[in-house]
Amino acid sequence: MVNVFEILSIACLVIGVIFLSLGMIGLLRLPDVYNRLHATTKIGTLGAFGVLLSIMIQEIGNSGLLPPSPMGIKALTVGLFILLTSPISGHMIARAAYKMGVDLCEDSILDEYKGERKD
Amino acid sequence: MKRRLITYMALPVVWCMVSGRISIGSIFLGLLFGAVVVQPFNKLYRLDEVITPTGDWLAKIPKKFVYFYVLIKEIIKANIMVAKIVLQPTINIKPGIIRVPIRTRTNIGITGIANTITLTPGTLTVDISDDQTALFVHSIDATDPQGIRDSIRDDLEKYVLEAFE
Repeated sequence: MVNVFEILSIACLVIGVIFLSLGMIGLLRLPDVYNRLHATTKIGTLGAFGVLLSIMIQEIGNSGLLPPSPMGIKALTVGLFILLTSPISGHMIARAAYKMGVDLCEDSILDEYKGERKD
Repeated sequence: MKRRLITYMALPVVWCMVSGRISIGSIFLGLLFGAVVVQPFNKLYRLDEVITPTGDWLAKIPKKFVYFYVLIKEIIKANIMVAKIVLQPTINIKPGIIRVPIRTRTNIGITGIANTITLTPGTLTVDISDDQTALFVHSIDATDPQGIRDSIRDDLEKYVLEAFE
């Protein structure tokens, strides 16, 4: 039997997986570490969110909203942690790369951070 | 109220969410684990600091929901923008690092604005200046640095200031 929750769940899963694969293409195609981080931090967040949202909708469809099912709560928790940690890890990688002396790619037109670099 | 007590009260809730079961039993288990977990993090998170929760924090809850709405909207916009760049036949970008002055002064406000910048279209926070007055933001399109500074100040920082300060 196909119901509304199932369709919504599959739609979220497809959107999430499409964005995740775009993120991986970005990781391969973009020129330097900073631009690649753009692809992974932003797209990784929405892609993972889509997959987790699909789990939540599926669980609501299976067992109703109340009482909340364990798997649904876990998916929500993981989503919140990804929302908090993904930008922080991106920021840490970018900062560490700059301090290690990884230069910006040749297309870069501006670097106002240069004077602030401390070795 | 000491921060240690607030952390200790929050940990059972986190445990319930991580384990997926909300019951009296798992709250007690969370309290038990919390007592063990709080102690090693004493120095790292300054748990002995006395903080006073005011009515201000509660009054700003609606603003926090507005902030989350703006954040989710911006995340979706950011993803579509990166997807467009990635799918171009030849990648034609002009990236650069821009210094963006910020008005937020508290630690939580700066964390909020830095994370928001990372999740919004075309920008990624790299570092903060020593005096905590400016962020260094890597932008995927740095042809108009002043425009990026203005858009961060007007579109994002406003909501962070309202929600967290």
